[in-house]
Amino acid sequence: MAGSLGFAALGTGADALASGADTRVRYWNLFSGGDGANMIAMLDAFRKENPGIDVKDSTLQWGNPFYTKLAMAAAGNRAPELGVMHMGRVAGFSPGRLLDPWDEALLAKYGVRKEDYNPALWNRGVIDGKLYALPLDIHVQLCFYRKDVLKKADLLGDDGRMIPVTSTDEWFDVLKKAKSVQKKGLQTIGLWTNDQNFQWWFFVAFYTQLGGRWFNDDAPANTEVLFDVDKATQVLEFFRQHVTDGYVIPGAPTGEQFINGAPFTWEGNWSVPVFSGAKLDYGATPLPPVFGKQATHAESHAFVLPHQSGRGGATNEAAHELAAYVVTHALQWAAGGHIPAYTPTLSTAAYKKLEPQNEYVSAMDHQATEPKVWFAGSTGVLAQDLGPVVVSSTMGSAKPDAVARTMKSHLTKLLASKNPMDGKTAAQGGAVA
Amino acid sequence: MTTSAQTVVAPARAKTAAATATVRRKQGFQHGGWFVAPFLALFALFVVWPLLRGVYLSFTDANISGDAASFVGLDNYREALNDQAMWDALGHSAYFTLLVVPCITVLAFLLAMLAHHIERGKWLWRLCFFAPFLLPSTVAANMWQWLFTQGIGLFNETFGLTTPWLTDKSYAMLAIVIATLWWTVGFSFLLYLAALQGIPDHLYEAAKLDGANAWHRMVHITLPMMRHITGLVIALQALASLQLFDQAVVMMDFSPGPELSTRSFVQYTLEQGFTSYRVGYASAMSIIFFVIIAAVALARMALLRNREEGTR
Amino acid sequence: MSSTQIRLKPRNPWTPSQIVLTLLGVAVSALFMAPIAAALLTSLKSEAEAAEIPPHWLPEVWTGQAWKALWETGNISNWFVNSLVVSVLVTAVVVTVAALAGYGFARTEFKGKSALMGVVMAGLMISPAVLGVPLFTTVQQMGMVDTYWGMILPQCAPAAMVYILYKFFQGIPRELEEAAFIDGAGRWRVFFTIVLPLSRPSLAAVGIFTFIASWNNFLWPYMVTNNPDLMTMPNGIATVMNSYGIQWAQLMAGGLMAGLPLIIVFIFFQRQIVAGVAHTGLAGQ
Repeated sequence: MAGSLGFAALGTGADALASGADTRVRYWNLFSGGDGANMIAMLDAFRKENPGIDVKDSTLQWGNPFYTKLAMAAAGNRAPELGVMHMGRVAGFSPGRLLDPWDEALLAKYGVRKEDYNPALWNRGVIDGKLYALPLDIHVQLCFYRKDVLKKADLLGDDGRMIPVTSTDEWFDVLKKAKSVQKKGLQTIGLWTNDQNFQWWFFVAFYTQLGGRWFNDDAPANTEVLFDVDKATQVLEFFRQHVTDGYVIPGAPTGEQFINGAPFTWEGNWSVPVFSGAKLDYGATPLPPVFGKQATHAESHAFVLPHQSGRGGATNEAAHELAAYVVTHALQWAAGGHIPAYTPTLSTAAYKKLEPQNEYVSAMDHQATEPKVWFAGSTGVLAQDLGPVVVSSTMGSAKPDAVARTMKSHLTKLLASKNPMDGKTAAQGGAVA
Repeated sequence: MTTSAQTVVAPARAKTAAATATVRRKQGFQHGGWFVAPFLALFALFVVWPLLRGVYLSFTDANISGDAASFVGLDNYREALNDQAMWDALGHSAYFTLLVVPCITVLAFLLAMLAHHIERGKWLWRLCFFAPFLLPSTVAANMWQWLFTQGIGLFNETFGLTTPWLTDKSYAMLAIVIATLWWTVGFSFLLYLAALQGIPDHLYEAAKLDGANAWHRMVHITLPMMRHITGLVIALQALASLQLFDQAVVMMDFSPGPELSTRSFVQYTLEQGFTSYRVGYASAMSIIFFVIIAAVALARMALLRNREEGTR
Repeated sequence: MSSTQIRLKPRNPWTPSQIVLTLLGVAVSALFMAPIAAALLTSLKSEAEAAEIPPHWLPEVWTGQAWKALWETGNISNWFVNSLVVSVLVTAVVVTVAALAGYGFARTEFKGKSALMGVVMAGLMISPAVLGVPLFTTVQQMGMVDTYWGMILPQCAPAAMVYILYKFFQGIPRELEEAAFIDGAGRWRVFFTIVLPLSRPSLAAVGIFTFIASWNNFLWPYMVTNNPDLMTMPNGIATVMNSYGIQWAQLMAGGLMAGLPLIIVFIFFQRQIVAGVAHTGLAGQ
């Protein structure tokens, strides 16, 4: 390639030439909700303290486009120094090939130690004995409610929080009461009925409440599908009832409806800054334990080092320093709604005072997560495959029991399918952490 | 330049001059290889080679990393032909094409007739009907995504509807069709306009003298003169529509749409390649798609040939 | 068409049919302009107002915040430069290469010409939409993912443009060139001094069409660029701007910024562009 030098020079782009700082850390993230602004504020604080490091952050389209771009950049050897991923995606993201491991000594130098983490969470990032994902937070699906509306319906307890709900009957009773006092023309609850990601997360939460299982978890391999069609049907019928009873306007934008006066919405905790910013009088609890047991869907954001063939030196150290800084200064991150993974933050008085964070922090003790297989994780193959199927039931284009059976057959097929990155199926122990 | 010209000797001047001229005239058109070389080099690198590579990859289990892959024979094709999701995606692309092509053809013709027959402000009509085509697909898609968003969008508000355009599987593709019509009709409109302006005036004048009214003139002169251009518009639109991608993914926020209802063939192929990292499988689907596109293009050529022979 | 002519002769009076047609034209034009107007008006609202239920056309409070924020927070100036660099280079390369090749196929003889022409015609059916994944891996092998060249070069082999110019060159009378050859001019000189000046309108048409297509191209830059610093306008707006939650006012402002340059250029060069688009399209016949 005679012209490759020329290619390289053109390829660096105008931006690199314009920057005067010594060490440049490119950092890609997917924080597109209300949390994005908090991340930017944290980066600004870091920049102020470290003028020698030029942080170039980029927020990309959330979800699969982000993973596509990150994978393609790493495969094309043009990856940024630092990236963010969902914990559940790490196993399928070919650690060692598309991701480089963290230098734990270097992390310790900047104040991040294994002892400061919940061991289970830390270990989710460890693959083949090496740390590939440095956890930043735990984020959960919540039931947001408007206190001003619920008060009128007499649904608030003495502590000013929503009264607890322990069965589906109680739950629909609550919705009925709320509907009778709410503003007309709005829906009663936002359920993301048409969104394959949210519907899938909600499904994982309630299916876990029922004690449902996915596979037999015979480490290191999953060899059998244990998906319970009856339990799944129960969950799907529960979702569907919201639509048939008229509590949901399918397709209505949930956040906007809530801000405009809808009494409930189920959303990720990253909507906290949006609703707080809109000056709403609201609260947020984990998804209601309508099937008797607490469980709400949880995922974690984690820092990763996308693969660079020449990784090392000052830029690599700066990437470690930046990640460590954000992890240890996570109070600001918590203001964005996420539960910090760095435990010293959790016990600070400042965190305990945050509202509504202090109302839902308990969610981290009963997490509902996807099975640990290569095809799982936020917007992964599993979610992509099953999400639309769940939606078809909630929207009424397929019967819940038929959908539950379809889900089982999809799971069977997925278990037998090969991970394209290593050619092994999950049943053969392909890339399971 | 030409060696023969330099070796010619003086004495037989007149005679050789004529000979030189013939030689030069002929040689002027010889050895044109250098003219086509730069294009052919690019064409070979970025069209022919990817096609061959695609064929090769389609027989392997290659992934996105670019690492060595192993040969899997016809497995990818076998899987693709049994992949209901692929057929669904092809169905969505075909459905889109069947909706868009006739609508655009008729609409473009009507707009062109309108712009052609209004005597004043021709530039204004041209600008208004053509301007959307000048927008990037993603921008046009974002505009319509916003217009169609339930609750906050102006489309339903303006027409007094409550249709869940983007979130219900029975409407999502229609929403994309409407946005596409608005965005791309300008191109076919210009083709029709140029064709209308190319009809010689004397044809109409002769018809007028024969006492034909406006309707007759349209049916017996305008429409027959539009046959050729209509064939072109339909062919270009069909090939472009089958390759649906941009508008659909942007309007659906890069998702496959409500219950996968707007996932086009191109989108599914790219999902397999870049999201599921299955480059081998995606390549097999690319080749299948190439065959489909080629079949459509060849069908058009065959039709054209038939028609030409028929008119002769 | 001939605007001077129209000015010379007196305008036709307003006949009833002209009035009806003009009114219809105005109504349809309004319909066509409405989405762009809506985008413009939305870009002048605050983000909160842009997401209000129910929506309204005119801003209650007019504000330039979205446009200001666009410049302050976004990569938009970067993207604009990238778009310009890519489209200009693509146009330059395509016009040069396609003119040479079109002439070569139309007017010169070389071994295997007709076979090569056939292969090029087959190339009309290939696009990044059809062969995206293999094309990406090819460019990946060349180490050009996330580079300007990776975006530019694969857009530089459009068989269609070669075909259009090929048709055009075939229409130029041979005698012109022959006369020059007899005078002893080499074929390159003939090409540059005789053929090219004659083909200015066709080259302009190809150039204009290529520029529009390249400026608006989304799919290929989307596939081959991951680094937001390198993205072009359509790509950046779709994959990066969307990601700050949905900030409709800013999104509309960004979209207009990507779309308006071409529309403004169109207003000034309408005749040439219309001729160019019609020409390139019609040549497909």
